[in-house]
Amino acid sequence: MIKVMSKVQLIGSKALLDEVIRLLHNLGIVHIESIPARIGLEDSYLRRQPIEREKALLKERLEKILERLKGIYLLLPASGAGREEGLMTGDMPVLLADITSHAFLDEVDKLEKEVKGLHAEKAGLSEEISSIGRYEKILKGIAPLVAKLKGLNNFETIGITIDRAKEDIIPLLENEVGRIAEERHQFFVKDIDKDTIGIVITYPKKYDAKMKALIASEAIAEIKLPERYTDMTLFDALKVMIKRREEMPVLVMNIDNKLNGLALEWYKKLELLMRLLRDTIDELKTLVYCAHTRFTFVIVGWIPKDKFHALSIAIMDKFSDKVMVREMEIREDEIDLIPVYIKNPKLLKPFEVFLNILPPPKYGSVDPTPYLALFFPTFFGLILGDIGYGGILFMLSLYLKKRFKAKEYLANLASVLTISSLFAVAFGIFFGEFFGDLGERFGLLHPIIFDRVKAMKVFLVLAIGIGIGHILLGLMLAIVNYIHRGKGKEAMAKASTLILMLALITIVAILAGYLPKGLITPGVVIMLAAFIILILFEGIIGPLEALKTIGNILSYARIMAIGTASVALALVANKLGGLTGNVILGIFIAGIIHVINILLGILSPGIQSLRLHYVEFFSKFYQAGGRRYEPFRKTGK
Amino acid sequence: MEKGLIALAAALAIAIPALATAWAQSKIGSAGAGALAEKPELSGIVIILTAIPETMVILGFVIAYLILA
Repeated sequence: MIKVMSKVQLIGSKALLDEVIRLLHNLGIVHIESIPARIGLEDSYLRRQPIEREKALLKERLEKILERLKGIYLLLPASGAGREEGLMTGDMPVLLADITSHAFLDEVDKLEKEVKGLHAEKAGLSEEISSIGRYEKILKGIAPLVAKLKGLNNFETIGITIDRAKEDIIPLLENEVGRIAEERHQFFVKDIDKDTIGIVITYPKKYDAKMKALIASEAIAEIKLPERYTDMTLFDALKVMIKRREEMPVLVMNIDNKLNGLALEWYKKLELLMRLLRDTIDELKTLVYCAHTRFTFVIVGWIPKDKFHALSIAIMDKFSDKVMVREMEIREDEIDLIPVYIKNPKLLKPFEVFLNILPPPKYGSVDPTPYLALFFPTFFGLILGDIGYGGILFMLSLYLKKRFKAKEYLANLASVLTISSLFAVAFGIFFGEFFGDLGERFGLLHPIIFDRVKAMKVFLVLAIGIGIGHILLGLMLAIVNYIHRGKGKEAMAKASTLILMLALITIVAILAGYLPKGLITPGVVIMLAAFIILILFEGIIGPLEALKTIGNILSYARIMAIGTASVALALVANKLGGLTGNVILGIFIAGIIHVINILLGILSPGIQSLRLHYVEFFSKFYQAGGRRYEPFRKTGK
Repeated sequence: MEKGLIALAAALAIAIPALATAWAQSKIGSAGAGALAEKPELSGIVIILTAIPETMVILGFVIAYLILA
């Protein structure tokens, strides 16, 4: 439900402002409101609280330190994180002065240099590993040729590679090399791999410039060594490269060990320091939300009504009568500004996850969570309706809940799946389904209410019936919403739509023979009256909305359609498994199809049930546009 | 002959909306994928939007069933 909020005002001596802000931060229940921009412009005794120069400088300094710590934190491996120790252990909290002290900043400098240096070294090594990998194959291919030429003075040796597709140019190249070197050259060709041919050319040094120009003009890939090896001959480079490659894993491991050692000492410590810095920066930022007179400060905010007493007591205990808290009257024009705080019992809370993708509802409107918590699992159960599938999803949801305990969003989704899978088991008992008709084949189960495959018409009528109930409930909630917000005209329009729908459904029931024919005249009269009232209140849009509502109701047929598809696939699995004539193969084939059906069984009923809520149900009453309640509280709380 | 025509009518009642749904979903899906690249937090809304045209094929299925029943 959406909690009732109070507007609170705190007034006290300016000297106490910092302490009051710290207390509010610790309490974490007040949504502090920014002082309107017009204050300070008008000729008023109330001014915006300017942030003092030294505090502004402190905030800037803390932000810079936070950025540096964040940078170091991201470079440390989380796997090496130790327990919380050092600065923050014991009862003595770390002081801000510790963080901004020269000694600490020097320590951060040292740490930053060390961590960045280690990372740069590691990056250099991995780059070298990959470049050695690239060159090794080529160099190994031409090494025997280069070895032959070792010791030739005044001679230059170059290595080139050629794609096998361009093999034809090798004789031409040799001719050209011979012409430039006046036949005083040696030309060796060697296959390196299936795509590349390596060539080594030796020639007197004086032809070097011409030879290099030839290679460049023919766009042939000369083997250029990495910078580290440029002073070496090709052969020596290869020897050094192989040696380096053997050393490298050890070097990388040493760096990782050093980083892990630093993480053990610093990871948790940095987390705590960053939290402290963020909290302090938040407190400094909040100062600009306050107004002040010459001697006093004023803070205005919102708080859940039931927490007001706790706030008063906390302020009274700490500041006695030096700070005053009072509940203010909420003006008409402020109603849309009241932050929305949705709080539901533990069982319903996981379903709030579905509201997170929508803008929050307006303050004073209906919180749809309880209805979602009732109808979502019902629709899910009606569509899936199988003891076996429900059981597997139940186990899966328990595993997911445990696995994603720390991730609230995923844990909530897992909780929703737990509840929904129990509904699927319950409906499975009603429909007599266990992996399709498997229970029935063994004579263990029989449909209690109806068989979903044989009684499709009954299932369709049930689905539409649920749709009628759900949509009419949505219209009723819309009426409640409008009455709460004092909008009589809109409430009347929704009421006439509701009556129109009821009259229409009654007429359909009479025509179908479910109700006595004598009721048709009053039914038609009521329908016409509701239609006229609707046009009077909403104009031509009213009847169009009513038509849309009929479409919305028919859309609930999807419960039957998707449900039937789910059970039909299960039947196909069992039938195909039975056709094989071999028990193991049969179980294998049926198993595969059942697994597919289970995967579809998570997605399809979930998406369709959600869609029925978002599109059909919520469109009747959900009033988006509220502001979320964001209390001023410490990070990690 | 009549039975065959009834079966054909039922098949058309589900096949045409199925094609229409597929076409609409392809449009919504590709636009949705584009939106997700920019704003991954819209994933929930995009999944719901993709499911919206399914009403057509579901109503087609119901009509096909009513034709055969």
